[in-house]
Amino acid sequence: MADGREQFLRTVRQALGRDQAATPPPKSGEADGESSIRDRASEIQREAEDNADALMSRLHEAATEAGWNVTRVASPAEAADHILRVVQDLEARSIVRSAHDVLDALALDEGMARAGVSMTLAAIGDMATEGQRQEQRASIRESCISADVGLTGVDHAIAETGSVVLLPRRGVSRLVSLLPPVHVAVVRRGQVLPGLDELFALQRLDHIEGDLGSYLNIITGPSRSADIEHTLVTGVHGPGEVHMVLLG
Amino acid sequence: MRPDTKNFKRGAAKALGNERIQANLLGLYNGFDRARLAAADGTPDWELMREQARAIKAHTIDNLDYYLELAASNVEKAGGTVFFAKDADAAAGYVTDLALARGVKLVIKGKSMVSEEMSLNERLTDAGIEPVETDLGEYIIQLAGETPYHIIAPAIHKSREEVTDLFEAKLNSPRYEEITELAAEARRQLRDKFIRADMGITGANFIVAETGTVALVTNEGNGRMCTSMPRIHVAITGMEKIIPSMDDLGIFLRLLIRSATGQRISSYVTTVTGPRHADDEDGPDEFHLVIVDNGRSRLLADPELRESLYCIRCGACLNACPVYRKVGGHAYGWVYPGPIGAIVTPVMTNLADAKDLPFASSLCGACREACPVKINIPRMLLHLRKEVTEGRKYPTERNRSVLEALAMRLWRLSLSSPAALSIANSVARVLQKPLLRKGRIRWLPPPLSGWTPSRTFPAFVRPFRQRWRG
Ligand code: SF4
Repeated sequence: MADGREQFLRTVRQALGRDQAATPPPKSGEADGESSIRDRASEIQREAEDNADALMSRLHEAATEAGWNVTRVASPAEAADHILRVVQDLEARSIVRSAHDVLDALALDEGMARAGVSMTLAAIGDMATEGQRQEQRASIRESCISADVGLTGVDHAIAETGSVVLLPRRGVSRLVSLLPPVHVAVVRRGQVLPGLDELFALQRLDHIEGDLGSYLNIITGPSRSADIEHTLVTGVHGPGEVHMVLLG
Repeated sequence: MRPDTKNFKRGAAKALGNERIQANLLGLYNGFDRARLAAADGTPDWELMREQARAIKAHTIDNLDYYLELAASNVEKAGGTVFFAKDADAAAGYVTDLALARGVKLVIKGKSMVSEEMSLNERLTDAGIEPVETDLGEYIIQLAGETPYHIIAPAIHKSREEVTDLFEAKLNSPRYEEITELAAEARRQLRDKFIRADMGITGANFIVAETGTVALVTNEGNGRMCTSMPRIHVAITGMEKIIPSMDDLGIFLRLLIRSATGQRISSYVTTVTGPRHADDEDGPDEFHLVIVDNGRSRLLADPELRESLYCIRCGACLNACPVYRKVGGHAYGWVYPGPIGAIVTPVMTNLADAKDLPFASSLCGACREACPVKINIPRMLLHLRKEVTEGRKYPTERNRSVLEALAMRLWRLSLSSPAALSIANSVARVLQKPLLRKGRIRWLPPPLSGWTPSRTFPAFVRPFRQRWRG
């Protein structure tokens, strides 16, 4: 099919009253040099470390308001105990989890096995051939469809809005935090950003470094709808129950 | 969606006479409008953000050709495909052909007002493809065979009993009493569709030109499903949805979400940059962005109306509007109702048919007050009223008859100097003779005939100056 791009752009230009493409003056940061993007990003990372405690507390408050069940723990062992308790309270039989490092550190396997809960890692093996990858992809999807709980780390959290941010990629499936009816997210100290602007500033850094992912999710509380009579219901399509574990 | 804009008065009367709809519409005020005010109050620098957002939009729209090209080239760099559609038909054709070419049987859709412009569901169905709306409100509307009532809350006019009746009739479901049960039924019904679908279609709240990223704001999670589960994702968007940089996204997300529902942020904000990367665990193999004009360039071309393209479709002006809150969404007869709809609908469809819309306002200014990008809606409504009374016709100037153009030119010329006016007046006094009754003109010949079906036109008399001179 012929792409009407040229004609389309010509129409736009005519409507704007010119016959040549515009080269607009720099505006709203778009012409920022790479070095200023880098500087801003390192400043943000430094502040996230320096203010880690205060940011954790602000996140705790905002996330609670946004409908998360928030628990702050001091050690990985405590985090593991808490997660196990959540899973048992739910009488969950199966968990699917992402390959975030923080979850490896929790060493959940044994506890889950003892509780009779099966835990599946939603990640394609390193050595997989293309054929195997296809198969594994299908089986990850099946695990996410049938799991009672999805467990993830996070890539960032946002104090302003009480959100976690997931950047799906290798080891981080899009579906783990979406398909199961319950999502549990573990936030590490130092991962909390003050606001949305800082998140997008870091995304710009990824962009200029050629690392921008295909996907990003900012998740804030449970899935919601107020489409019938303006009455809030949770758990429409996405998880209806969400837990945030603040570690450190 | 075929415009049905001629019957505003009838549609309005129907809604006004329906107690149930009136009761349901109260929620717009009690729910959305008050929540917006509270959210604005609780946001530091709200007013500053509105100013900034307006300035960013003004800059982007004034340089839209540049940003469109930048966005398209960045989507392509990320591995996506971009299609520029001059109108609804071209856009629907592209999506339908793509679906057919890829052997798509089932399409899941997120909320997209632009797809309503395209009557996309009809087109897909005609091609033997099953489209399923997955936003709860849109799902209800699709089952009911209706069109959205509100750009944010499509089924806001329906009570829970009506939804219960609908689910019983269409899904054979039990008679649920609770809204939670109705939502759970929709979740069950749609889960299977998400799993089986080959293509997901969504709108786009923003397109970030700098990175070629599409941003989606959702609450239910269906938008995430549509962008994650099927092997093809198509995002459809109006060409005005562009913002220059990732740096602008924070401001616009805050303004959009807080103005739309009063939430600090929606449950989900999702950004999509191209299809999945080779080593991603999942996500679509193909990503297509369809950028649609469909009459927007006419808004762009008119300096008086250009700022209507700053709209971020938050719905706040609908919720704030005393007229919308009474006459509801269907009276406006097309995709975009309420104050902003009264501006864009006549220009995007046909001013002659939609001529009542610019008058469906008390010009109280509540819409402008509510608008997060400070669009001066009342000024544009006045402008369109003038266009209606002058008999101007959209879609295009070219559609205007030669005769009409000539008449308008003469009219303007006649006003340009006292001498010209006096000559024109003398000519008109002679020409009007056969049409006169009781000193009023009962019927004007085309192109001025729009004046006279419901009112008379004052006769041309000897001007005061001539009479005074004797
Ligand atoms: S005109 Fe303003 S208030 Fe109305 S929908 Fe658009 S952005 Fe929102």
